Amino acid sequence: MIDEALQRFIALAGRVGLHYDFLLSGSEVRQWAAGMGTTLLLVVLAIPLSLAAGIAFAAALTSGRPWLALPVRAYVELTRNTPTLVQLMFAFFALNMLLSRALGGAAHNPFTPFFWVVAVTGLHIAAFHAEALRGGIEAVPAPLVEAAQATGFSAFEILRFVTLPLALRTALPALMNNLVNLVKLTTIGSAIAVGEVTYASIMIWTQRDNVLELMIVILLFFGLINLTVSRIGHFVERRLAIPGYGV
Amino acid sequence: MAQDHTPRPILVELRDVHLSFGAAEVLKGIDLTVAKGDAVSIIGPSGSGKSTILRCINGLAQPHTGRITVAGTRVDTLRTEAERIALRKRVGIVFQQYNLFPHLTVLENITLAPTRILKVPRAEAEALARDLLARVRLADKVSAYPGELSGGQQQRVAIARALAMRPELVLFDEVTSALDPEMVGEVLAVIRELVRDGLTSILVTHEMRFAEEISDTIAFTENGRIVAQAPPAELFYRSGNPRIRQFIGGFQGYRDAVQHREGI
Amino acid sequence: MSAAALPARGALRAAWPWLALAAGSGLFWSFLDARLTRDLLDWLPYLASGFVMNVLISVLAMALGTLGGVVLGAMELSNARVVRAPAVAYVQLFRNAPHLVLIFATTYIFPFEIVVAGSYLPFPDWLKAVLGLAVPACAYVAEIVRGAILSVPTSQWDAARGSGLSRGQTLRWIILPQCLRRALPPWMNLYASITMSTALASLVGVHELLHAATDASTAVRRDDFTIAVYLTVLAAFFLFCFPISRLTRRLERRFAPR
Repeated sequence: MIDEALQRFIALAGRVGLHYDFLLSGSEVRQWAAGMGTTLLLVVLAIPLSLAAGIAFAAALTSGRPWLALPVRAYVELTRNTPTLVQLMFAFFALNMLLSRALGGAAHNPFTPFFWVVAVTGLHIAAFHAEALRGGIEAVPAPLVEAAQATGFSAFEILRFVTLPLALRTALPALMNNLVNLVKLTTIGSAIAVGEVTYASIMIWTQRDNVLELMIVILLFFGLINLTVSRIGHFVERRLAIPGYGV
Repeated sequence: MAQDHTPRPILVELRDVHLSFGAAEVLKGIDLTVAKGDAVSIIGPSGSGKSTILRCINGLAQPHTGRITVAGTRVDTLRTEAERIALRKRVGIVFQQYNLFPHLTVLENITLAPTRILKVPRAEAEALARDLLARVRLADKVSAYPGELSGGQQQRVAIARALAMRPELVLFDEVTSALDPEMVGEVLAVIRELVRDGLTSILVTHEMRFAEEISDTIAFTENGRIVAQAPPAELFYRSGNPRIRQFIGGFQGYRDAVQHREGI
Repeated sequence: MSAAALPARGALRAAWPWLALAAGSGLFWSFLDARLTRDLLDWLPYLASGFVMNVLISVLAMALGTLGGVVLGAMELSNARVVRAPAVAYVQLFRNAPHLVLIFATTYIFPFEIVVAGSYLPFPDWLKAVLGLAVPACAYVAEIVRGAILSVPTSQWDAARGSGLSRGQTLRWIILPQCLRRALPPWMNLYASITMSTALASLVGVHELLHAATDASTAVRRDDFTIAVYLTVLAAFFLFCFPISRLTRRLERRFAPR
């Protein structure tokens, strides 16, 4: 049944000049599907990393402790103003090499290219999350913070129970926007041979010369992921909405 | 109002407290004594440092010189945030602007501090919160959000939130000043009841009649000093200080004028 | 223009400790290892020629993106559905598309030369990269333009139409000047972002800074040089983009509605 539908789709696409014959080749389809799977895995790992690190960075930036805030501020500015691809190259070719040497050879280095893609893209977007959250934390009215202080909350408890929950709500649109960018960023993994969907596609189109056909599907694929991410965002936004509290 | 005259233990004591914000000297030597179970009102013209006194008592502001003792703790010598936090667990404060946490329900606002700071079991904290809400006559607003309540209701929740920590002392900082006139009564009624039940409290207020009615002592501040501290009857009607007579007279005159206009 | 000159000077003032830090650590390093410094200096002209390409691609992509984006943004606000729908679809599709994928697309789909009036003109990869980045830039600029136009109160439209101006004239003489202030900061942000995306062109073989750095690293084949050359690339982008982002933040604060 599926085969029949596939045949009909290939015939239909062929009539408008698009050649999807490769979908009949088992190995290429498997390669492509694996690429999509890898992209999804990258996204699923990098999103929580970016959020956790973003919250930690925002906490450091608003801690009022220079020894904590200044290094994070420097990191945020550096990562926001340099290309992520260059960061990835630097991490993979320089940091990873130093690590390998310290661990006694590449064979002993547990850090794979996949790891570096998750780490670099996740921490890159974390810097953008941190800026959005910092803005939200600083926008919490001072008397509210004082009320929490007066109740006996420590600085960390105030962040955890009062300022961060409020900041998450005000920063949510910006965070969603950052996550859409994060999904798109994972494609740079192809530069260090991580077999995500772009990389898998390159492998296929160098054999078949069917760039346009693959492109259309890739763009739809990313459109679908980002649609899902923003749907989840809207769902979270509705769940977090506070009755009687206008944002 | 305490009727017996046996001496009760001193809970709060301020001696010669000075505080400046930059060049402006806000407190110029405050002396104040509050016995356990007392209700003390601080009145006086705005800008005379009334609210700052409260902020010093719970460590939100640090005096430059002078001694502050709250329930055996020397507040003025507290150096670390941890020490101040320990103090604030025992001293509740209610603000003019309620300052409820907007993202938490009424119940969560009240139980947050007891469960997180005092580690009271959730069931116990919620039971206490419901009791307190009944006392402030908001038993039906347990799961409402602050944004859904009127100012008077929010302020009563704020009072319940302060009481949930079972504080030894509650500070009321102009708690009715931001309220519409028709909501002032409901908040004052709650405070009146608490004071009658023996809550030790210090109130900064502009409600002269109310202060006169509930206070054991009234302190009159002017220009960063407490120029008089006496039982209400003495301060209101037998004070020789012309400034006090003028200040209270102004309020009485205003009240009389309002009552006259409303035909009371 | 004094309005722009003032924050520019401010941005420089705010940036200078960072620049000093970068220069200082660079100097410190060069004292540490003379051979490394010599090698790096040897390769510097080659790296610089690469960075010129980044700037060229970014400027052209942004110019094309701005032209296309203004048209698309205006189309998005049209009352006619046939005009509005394609613009909205374009923006939705290409805002969600990874830049790298678009650069691959333009590189592999367009031919390597084009026929214009009977003669063959080369269509080099770097120009395809320009198009690859102009495609999403159009979508972003369209959103910026749309947001800026919508930020102008409708009463301004009514007032202009009331005094006899056509829709086009109102847009040109009344609305656009007001929009510019709103649009400038996000537009500058976009420029910095597009500039950083030009590094992606290295992956389709365009000789730009990152590509040059990889060339240099494989030619010298020394670990310390590899680290130094990638740090140089990071520094070059940072020194180019950081002042832009500082200036943007200043303008944002300056133009913020009060």
